[in-house]
Amino acid sequence: MTAVAITGAGVLSAAGRAPAELAAALSGTATPECDPGEPGLGVPGFDTRAELGRKGTSFFDRRTALAVVACRAALEDAGIDLATADRKRVGIVLGTSAGSVKSSVEYAVETFTQDRPHMVNPGLFPTTVMNCAAGQAAIWFGLRGVNATLAGGPLALVSVLRYGANLLSTGQADVLLAGVVDELTPHAAWLARTTGLPASTQPGEGGAVFTLSAARREAAPDAEILGVALGFAPEFGDRPAALGRCVRRALASAATVGADRAGDVTTVSMRSTADERQDRAMWRAVCRAAEEAGARKPESLTTRRHAGDCGAATAALDLAALIGRHRASGDLDGRLTVLAAHSPEGAVGAAVVRGWSRGPDQG
Amino acid sequence: MTRVLITGLGPVSSIGIGAAAFESGLRAGHCGIRPIGSFDTTGFPRVLGGEVQVFDAGSILSRIEPEEWGRSSQFAAAAARLAARDAGLQWERIDPERVSVVIGTTSGEAKVTEMFAQQLVGGGFEGVDPDIARRLPADRLSSAVSAELDAHGESMTIATACSASNYALGYAYDLIVSGEADVVFSGGADSVCRWAHAGFLRLGAVAERTCSPFDRDRTGMVTAEGGSMLVLEKAELARARGAVPYAEFLGYASNCDATHMVMPNASSIADCISAAHETAGVKTGDVDYVCAHGTGTPANDVTEAQALYEAFGGDVPPVSSIKSMLGHTMGAASGFGAIASALAIARGFLPPTIGWSTPDPEMAWLDPIPNRHRQAPVRVAQNNGFAFGGNNAIVMLGAAS
Amino acid sequence: MTNVEDRKTELRELVAEVLEIEPDELTDHGDFVEDYDGDSLRAIELLARIERKYKIEIPQQELATMRDFDAVYAVTAGYAGWRS
Repeated sequence: MTAVAITGAGVLSAAGRAPAELAAALSGTATPECDPGEPGLGVPGFDTRAELGRKGTSFFDRRTALAVVACRAALEDAGIDLATADRKRVGIVLGTSAGSVKSSVEYAVETFTQDRPHMVNPGLFPTTVMNCAAGQAAIWFGLRGVNATLAGGPLALVSVLRYGANLLSTGQADVLLAGVVDELTPHAAWLARTTGLPASTQPGEGGAVFTLSAARREAAPDAEILGVALGFAPEFGDRPAALGRCVRRALASAATVGADRAGDVTTVSMRSTADERQDRAMWRAVCRAAEEAGARKPESLTTRRHAGDCGAATAALDLAALIGRHRASGDLDGRLTVLAAHSPEGAVGAAVVRGWSRGPDQG
Repeated sequence: MTRVLITGLGPVSSIGIGAAAFESGLRAGHCGIRPIGSFDTTGFPRVLGGEVQVFDAGSILSRIEPEEWGRSSQFAAAAARLAARDAGLQWERIDPERVSVVIGTTSGEAKVTEMFAQQLVGGGFEGVDPDIARRLPADRLSSAVSAELDAHGESMTIATACSASNYALGYAYDLIVSGEADVVFSGGADSVCRWAHAGFLRLGAVAERTCSPFDRDRTGMVTAEGGSMLVLEKAELARARGAVPYAEFLGYASNCDATHMVMPNASSIADCISAAHETAGVKTGDVDYVCAHGTGTPANDVTEAQALYEAFGGDVPPVSSIKSMLGHTMGAASGFGAIASALAIARGFLPPTIGWSTPDPEMAWLDPIPNRHRQAPVRVAQNNGFAFGGNNAIVMLGAAS
Repeated sequence: MTNVEDRKTELRELVAEVLEIEPDELTDHGDFVEDYDGDSLRAIELLARIERKYKIEIPQQELATMRDFDAVYAVTAGYAGWRS
């Protein structure tokens, strides 16, 4: 694959609304508590009308509003002026697990509780489809390029990066708004707690959208996606090895597109689950693959302690925090991070990201 | 340039399960639309659906246990197993790491969502079966297929609503062309559910008595279900093993209307058609058949017809809607369209639009292949897919040379 | 008893909500499509909200006439049996 440049990031989380804020939260010691009565760590003060106004937003669910705001923040962060862009060449790729579960479940609830089962709300019907956020974002910004929604669950971010890289390398788009955003609702909190959060992790909200384009020598991106590899292992016991293979493939791809020192893998982001034993096996497999390439004991990066567990969007917040760190320090220039992911069913995936301090904010 | 062939088909539909039964259904113009039986339709003013009434996943699946998976995942996995058998793949000669899976869906496990709602109404979150949380994620559709096939390549679920199969097929094609995979199983799956039926009904989009796409008096669409799967294979490997392909995958294009969540946009669709022709390297005059999105709603069909007229410069080849037989199978729909297109090319016939009686003066020029299939050579077929969110995707198939 | 003005105020708020405008921007004869960017989805949405709020059923054919506030009030009053 050819390298992909990340030129900006739009962030929403309980731990901050910019890559720098996320990175700062990570280096701090304070861990937020959620308010009693709240289902988890929401994006503080987020209100659709306050953010986006009344016009065009009455059929937005919370996930859609969060996604549109994150896209807007990403465009601003990257300094992209859509007024001068060819909007047929700007696309959107968003990841999810099952869309807005609240929207679809409450829609179904109405069919049981209304006087007649079809007395549902027609305007909200589009919120029940998983591509609602991407479709509404396209309308909001007038983006007529490729518009895709990927149901990747824990692999949502690596899937979005993989799919986005393909769109850029096949010339189907010049710029992509790509990321994962999820809402905090009683339904999402129930799902998170029921499928098993590690102790002391709260359900969270938010995510990040990145602006992606094909990497060019002259540009100074925040980060580059140098390799993405996905796979599947039906047998539980085979999954660590399968994830390790993905890391090796992604690192091999990184080597071919210019990361001549794969040994510079210093950081790994991987969302832990309720199964500590499997998590340890996965972590060892990722580290072993990185160490084979010359890395020394990579450190773990996670935003979950500060932003909560945002489900499919957790990895996107990790990547945003990583960008924040790189922007803050030239000492980290050129270092590699492995974003690793695995699903309960056996999907595995890894992306290799190289970060820089010379992002758009730094001139 | 790597070429990609379609070497296996796996339809699980209301008009036939398996390639042969589905082909007979298309030729005979069978109608799979009946009163809905999978949920209680009491109180609904319209009750038609396209359900797969005789579906025994256990009799088709070889590796996964049906009860571990939701209905949509079962449709996807069963369709994949049928497609694998149809392709006659020699698994012992295939590296499982080189076999990928890309599945499209609109609502994922819609019946699980429905059950979630029903239990929530009954007793709040405490009353909801925890297993629902495990079954709900939509990425389980592609996982079910990968697990059923023991495929170790990437496994992706694309959720671009009712054009999702075409998105999936396009990405599957790119995986082979870019050298990431040798074989890709791609298509879509969805299940009939209470809430989607209610939603379309409330939009005024559901047909009263029959689904009659392109007819002047059409009254709407019918929600339907099933699993549609195609085997895409790197041409040189397919040839080397002596596979008999149905068709060649020529190319695809996708774009977004960015104007309205539910109203289609003719000029945007026309752009998508032209882009699909360009990437596939075909001219409008090469296209012998258009497998339409053709939902049967007044708005879709007239918009689609306008777009075709514009993109083809007025000279539009025969167009049919297999949704007249199947209903609208949502995320599986464009996969069924691709299967029908591949069969049209391989067997030399045009699937009909059934239930058609009166030309619509707004598209009097349109040949909907009314009611009976037509014997005709098909060199190039165009498969349309449109969706909520303005997500258009069009796949072009051609005769395997 | 609810009088006509109270009912109109309530209905005006409902229509304004669907059209994403403030109630005082909505005139009695302003055309939903021409003057307030309405479309068929918002029209059906309006019908659905009126049906739910007042527990009545209005046939979709009535949408053709429900193009401004006055017409919406007249149709709603007719099906709800309000005496004006």
